[in-house]
Amino acid sequence: MSLLDALPTPRLGRGGYPNAVLISLSVVMLAAVWGLDTVSVAPNRIVQGESVHVQNAFGWPGALLVSLLVIALGSLAYQPSRIHYWAALGVVVLLLVLMPFGLMVASHFLIDPELPQARLGIGGGYWVVLFISLLGIVELRLRLGLKRLWPVFILSGVGLIWWLCAWLWLKDLALVQEFKARDHQFIQAIRQHIILVSTAVSVSVVMGTLLALLMRRFARLQKVAFALLNFLQTIPSLALFGLLLAPLAWLAANVPFLAKVGVSGIGNTPALIALVAYSLLPMVRNTYTALEEVSPDTLEAASAMGMHRIQRFWQVRLPLALPVLLEGVRITTVQAIGLTAVAALIGAGGLGTFIFQGLGQAAMDMVLLGALPILILALLVDAGLGALAEALRPGGVQ
Amino acid sequence: MKPDVKRVIRSTQATAMTAWLWPFLWGTLLAICIVGIPHAQGIFQWIEPDVRQVIYQRTPFYVLLERHVLVVGVAAVVTISLGVGAGIAVTRRKGQDFLPLVSQLASLGQTFPPVAVLALAVPVLGFGTLPIIVALMLYGLLPIVRNTLAGLQDVDKDIKTAARAVGLTPLQVLYQVELPLAAPVILAGIRTSVTINIATAALGATVGASNLGDPIIAGIINNNMAYVIQGALVIALLALTVDSVFDALQTRLRLRLSSS
Amino acid sequence: MIELSHVSKYFGTEMAVDAINLKVEKGQFCALVGTSGCGKSTTLRMINRLIEKSDGEITLDGQAIEAYDPVKLRRRIGYVIQSTGLFPHWTVARNIGLVPRLLKWPAKDIQARVEELMGLLGLPVAEFAHKYPHQLSGGQAQRVGVARALAADPDILLMDEPFGALDPITRVKLQDELAGLQARLHKTVVFVTHDMDEALKLANHLVVMRDGHIVQQGTPLSLLQHPKDPFVESLLGGLERGLKQAALTRVKDHMSSMGPTLPSQFRIPADFSLRQALSMMLRDHTDRLAVVDQQDVPIGELSLRKIVKEAQLEKGSMREA
Repeated sequence: MSLLDALPTPRLGRGGYPNAVLISLSVVMLAAVWGLDTVSVAPNRIVQGESVHVQNAFGWPGALLVSLLVIALGSLAYQPSRIHYWAALGVVVLLLVLMPFGLMVASHFLIDPELPQARLGIGGGYWVVLFISLLGIVELRLRLGLKRLWPVFILSGVGLIWWLCAWLWLKDLALVQEFKARDHQFIQAIRQHIILVSTAVSVSVVMGTLLALLMRRFARLQKVAFALLNFLQTIPSLALFGLLLAPLAWLAANVPFLAKVGVSGIGNTPALIALVAYSLLPMVRNTYTALEEVSPDTLEAASAMGMHRIQRFWQVRLPLALPVLLEGVRITTVQAIGLTAVAALIGAGGLGTFIFQGLGQAAMDMVLLGALPILILALLVDAGLGALAEALRPGGVQ
Repeated sequence: MKPDVKRVIRSTQATAMTAWLWPFLWGTLLAICIVGIPHAQGIFQWIEPDVRQVIYQRTPFYVLLERHVLVVGVAAVVTISLGVGAGIAVTRRKGQDFLPLVSQLASLGQTFPPVAVLALAVPVLGFGTLPIIVALMLYGLLPIVRNTLAGLQDVDKDIKTAARAVGLTPLQVLYQVELPLAAPVILAGIRTSVTINIATAALGATVGASNLGDPIIAGIINNNMAYVIQGALVIALLALTVDSVFDALQTRLRLRLSSS
Repeated sequence: MIELSHVSKYFGTEMAVDAINLKVEKGQFCALVGTSGCGKSTTLRMINRLIEKSDGEITLDGQAIEAYDPVKLRRRIGYVIQSTGLFPHWTVARNIGLVPRLLKWPAKDIQARVEELMGLLGLPVAEFAHKYPHQLSGGQAQRVGVARALAADPDILLMDEPFGALDPITRVKLQDELAGLQARLHKTVVFVTHDMDEALKLANHLVVMRDGHIVQQGTPLSLLQHPKDPFVESLLGGLERGLKQAALTRVKDHMSSMGPTLPSQFRIPADFSLRQALSMMLRDHTDRLAVVDQQDVPIGELSLRKIVKEAQLEKGSMREA
């Protein structure tokens, strides 16, 4: 009997109680739809767009449709049951699927075909509704007790529809125009980003595992290494990148051999060094605790059954440590994806280039072109490695 | 008093002393840098022999430091009150509806790269210091919420039951039992949040906020390594100082919770 | 003192406690016994409103518990749980003084009360007052738990398997101490346990629960003599029931005056239990014992045949009644 027994029973079982979360979400959404600008229209790339509200963007029928959907979500949450939650999930997905079509309608109403440079920007209201819809999906997944993969499937489907719409019909959208203007560059940047991240992560997985193994052997190393890695992690990324520039530039200038190998002050070398330095701490920490955390009783039992040290390591310790170890890889990779964006500042390339160029030129859609894929990449890696770790946990998903 | 008790007390005091040694050391180094860099022409000239101006002079370093600390500080005050408040709210009976979503969001939040958050804040909020503060608040909120939740949920259920059973009011349970016991975990969350924010704020220099990131960005653009080093040095020292202060606080908290 | 009538508790659609009736008189030591999940802890927690009942009525001193403010009510009821629930960030002294402090006693009175309780429970003040809970052994921590519950001198004490996590030797020691305390303090105690021996030893009112129902209640002796069904019987120890009953009976209740025969060479004090007497007979291969008083002077005789006969009579007379 726990303290929780004193609380009212979970709502789903009994129905009856309104789900305050979904109702609040739909209220905020409704406020965003009518209060914030839906889209913005600009005659060309540089000029600040003129914001347009929902009734002008979609026309009154469109605006009413959106509001009705949002209100439907709120009312379904008023008397929750399994069926209502499924219906609510349907409403949210419908909302997400309709989003690109809303943009088509808006571009039909607002964009003058005579002006080839004119473009449609996505407004604050749109972003808020998008964000809250995603929150809604998370909430509904939890209420319905669905597996983690469900939202991934749903969102992949929705993403595919968006992509098709953007590809086929949404050429007035600023984001699409930015992409079309530099699609080769974009693919190159993504490739560069992934290469940098995977190189840094692979190096730190190998180095981190070796270091963790050494630390288990030599207790003194453990203290020193953790102190040093903690120290490195504390230094802001921009500063670490900066501090690496000067010595590497000096090395490249004065040691011709290194310059030939590709060491230089600017570009990939300092980026990789910094990325590995940052990645080592989460990697080592997780590997170390993963290996240490295996229950001593289990290990004792393994020895008692007559396993060798080596057998014990490979057959007992490592398999039991693997999920935590993978957790380390996940944290490291997600962190590296973000840090690689900063590395663009020192000329390492990758998606960060678009962010900083865009910021420099005050071209917000270019910033989005860099930031959105980074976000998606991070979320994908997070979900993928998270699911892998779950699947590897002995006894399956817990 | 028994001798072993005395020894424990002495070693406790010693640990408490050494805990404050690092903040003092880093702080001193930071101060030396702030004061010393404008006078260290010679050293930086040696690094960049071909450049005429080697000391970053657009804004004095102490002003940059002040702005940096101000931005991070404002964001920290807001995030701590909001984050701890939210963590408390959703673990109360009235807010428990929101608990699943909030905890899911808080654990997901670390997935968003700070650069992306910063970049996304600009189209919505514009250039300058304000978007930085907002972006820092959004981003720094999540580790604090996450740790507040973890800390409060980790408090032994039996202890909470006992607290209610002896007649503590809900508010007394929160202030006298749950928060003191969750404090180390919450503090760790604040530490993470502030450390990330110091780093992210530096990136704010790219969206028009003037702070310690400025010399680095200016140095990269003008290919002037001396600027880069000056900025990087000061930010790194600032981060180390603040981090060591948190470390010392954590040590003190640990000692208070688990010593005689 | 405490009266439950038709009290029920549902968790969702699950029935945890089903319309139970229970009356605990002032100064009574009532033990709720049953397998885990039978609703005994839930019943206990409904009394201090840690769990709100779904149905029925609970009265304390004739007042419905809804009439009391739950917080004030709990300050008037001592509560002890298995895991002690001591606050790990407070010293022993501060933990014990908690309720008096909540009741805003003057600091001096709190201090005095804490020292008094620590003395009562065998915790030397100088050694323990400034220790933290994690520096105590299981038995010491539970003593502090009991001291905390007694701090504001409540009339009612609720105990939820307080000794369940202790090793057998410490458990027996604390049981003895609790029995001693109860003999002096005369609290009204409701005690949850799954250990029947503990219940038989401490309680004077025994309540056997199963699946949220009260199967049988009464004095320990009456339950031992007339278990209502096989469940109660097995809980009471099945074949060993006779010995448990004997453990509750004193030698002096079954002794006869000195007969014409020579007193037995084997002696047993009059206030020992019948169980101990039987054990002695088995050990020493005899069916007669001389009963002695505290000065070791024989005052009567105990014979196996008489014990068996009287047990038969008792059973018969109870059945008729």
